[in-house]
Amino acid sequence: MAENILHTASESISFAKKLEADSAAFYEELAGRHAAGAETFRAFGAENRKNIAQVERAYYGVITDAIEGGYAFNLDPTAYTLNTALKDGAGLAAAVAAALAVEKQIIKFYTEAAEQSRGLMADVPRAFLLVAKKRAGRLEKLEALT
Amino acid sequence: MALLDEPIKEVRTLKNYINGEWVESKGEIVDVVNPANCKTIARVPISTKAEIDEAVAAAREAFPDWRRTTPLARSRFLFRLKELLEENFEEVSRIQTQEHGKTIDESRGETRRGIENVEVACGIPTLMQGYYSEDIAHGIDEWVIPTPLGVFGIIGPFNFPWMIPLWSAPYAVATGNCVIIKPSSEVPNSQTRLAELAEEAGFPPGVWNVVHGGRTVVGGMLDHPDIVGITFVGSTPTGRDVIYKRCGETGKRVIAQCGAKNFMTIMPDCDVDRTVTAMMTSYFGNAGQRCLAAANALIVGDDDAFYKRFVQRVVDLASKIRVGYGLDESIQMGPVRDKDKKARILRYIEGCLKDGARLLLDGRQVRPEGGLPDTCFLGPTILENVRPDSAMGSEEVFGPVMSIMRARDLDEAIRISNANAFGNGNSIFTTSGKAAREYQYSIESGNVGINIGIVAPMAFFPFSGMKESFYGVLHTQGKEAVRFFTESKVVIQRWF
Repeated sequence: MAENILHTASESISFAKKLEADSAAFYEELAGRHAAGAETFRAFGAENRKNIAQVERAYYGVITDAIEGGYAFNLDPTAYTLNTALKDGAGLAAAVAAALAVEKQIIKFYTEAAEQSRGLMADVPRAFLLVAKKRAGRLEKLEALT
Repeated sequence: MALLDEPIKEVRTLKNYINGEWVESKGEIVDVVNPANCKTIARVPISTKAEIDEAVAAAREAFPDWRRTTPLARSRFLFRLKELLEENFEEVSRIQTQEHGKTIDESRGETRRGIENVEVACGIPTLMQGYYSEDIAHGIDEWVIPTPLGVFGIIGPFNFPWMIPLWSAPYAVATGNCVIIKPSSEVPNSQTRLAELAEEAGFPPGVWNVVHGGRTVVGGMLDHPDIVGITFVGSTPTGRDVIYKRCGETGKRVIAQCGAKNFMTIMPDCDVDRTVTAMMTSYFGNAGQRCLAAANALIVGDDDAFYKRFVQRVVDLASKIRVGYGLDESIQMGPVRDKDKKARILRYIEGCLKDGARLLLDGRQVRPEGGLPDTCFLGPTILENVRPDSAMGSEEVFGPVMSIMRARDLDEAIRISNANAFGNGNSIFTTSGKAAREYQYSIESGNVGINIGIVAPMAFFPFSGMKESFYGVLHTQGKEAVRFFTESKVVIQRWF
């Protein structure tokens, strides 16, 4: 298997957790910078923690030796890089644009990961799609901030 | 990818858990070695006959009170244990990887399977109910009461250090018996940790015991008149010639789950992508060290083009499997348990090549990732032109080796599979319901997979086995385990 491609369930779940943690830190930073959207940004950060719990619960609940957990994914992590760097003094519009890009990347990850593991990982793809759906709901909320 | 944290950080000498106390053994002490990095992670005693006798005496003494503890109250101990297992899920999974070598996904899967047996046994108030017939004759009623028997011995293998004793122990104690678990001395940390959690769950002293060791402990269990039954998982020679035989001689109940040589039949109409992925897990998962691992791949049909394409896909995917330490999350296959097992597998491969087989993928010189010593590592190995009656084609190798064979049609594939002495976990991959139905009807295998590569029954189904893969009548797990651990007391009642 090619170097750095995520194949195992364990590393794919860890990667999902990292995306959630990184984007939570990003929203904390945005909340500190932009009072106008602080409540929304903080709510997103808090929801990220619930997303991690939801994904972990699904994984630990269904992981078993009888399925192809070691071969369930084929994900290139570089395809889901989050650009969370903001220029000093960037306004709310720039922050929202960055947040929208982050959300779309994470939605892409969950959707593709769910598709790849469909039929192999039982509740995991369903949990991924639920998180993707929740995040899709954020797009409208973000756009409403500007 | 960085390694996950190792839970075992210092080398300690393990103790036996007898009568609710952690007791130092007087037996010889041997090292427990992590097969991935060859570091000693613990020392385990090879306990003496006196120590197994002491455990049996404690369990025997605990039995009357435990039996009188109501099934509902007993189930509450199991509920507490289940909660503790969930709380410590990650730690116990990593212990398995550290002492056995399997990948972290495999260890977590093993942990989950073990917990599922505890969950099923929590239903003992219902599972243990008897049955009743009113008026079997005029004014006479009859009923059955499942009653516990006493002390059971549970002998675990090296390949699933956590899960396999849990195929038996939760049902044994739930039904009111006491247990003595003898883990494999190669992987004793998992059962030590489980006993610590059982202690924390509050099982009364003597109900749950662990005695480490080898043949002396097993012999002590088999010969002891106060042990009423044994569950065993291990090799066929030991299961058949020692465990089953001696239990018969001493009048003990026995479940002896033994070796395997599993055939996977691949029909030309199979879903190739899904079949090939399933094959990776089935042949190479747990480094091939599972009694449900497929060993022989029977590719059906005379379409040479399909055969070549299919085999090439298998070889391509297997050649990319990442081999290394299972605490690296990206690793897909760990080492075999020790260097002697590796040497044994190598002998089979070399013998097979001398017999005329062709090597399609050679895992003998694998370099594990992370610069680890290759002492216990083998890569995925694929051979074709393997004869079903050769040593490689017919005996249990217990390693990451796939032997490819061809069969003209389904009937021949079934004939070849059934000619093997074992009957543990055979499977078919097809999109034809008719072929699948014929296969499940005719195949002589205790566990049968249809588009499933590892036919591991869930906790609420028996873990079956046939022919030289199983000796006994009832099986571990679920309702059959409840029957195994209870005697049917029949009452016939008439009042004057």
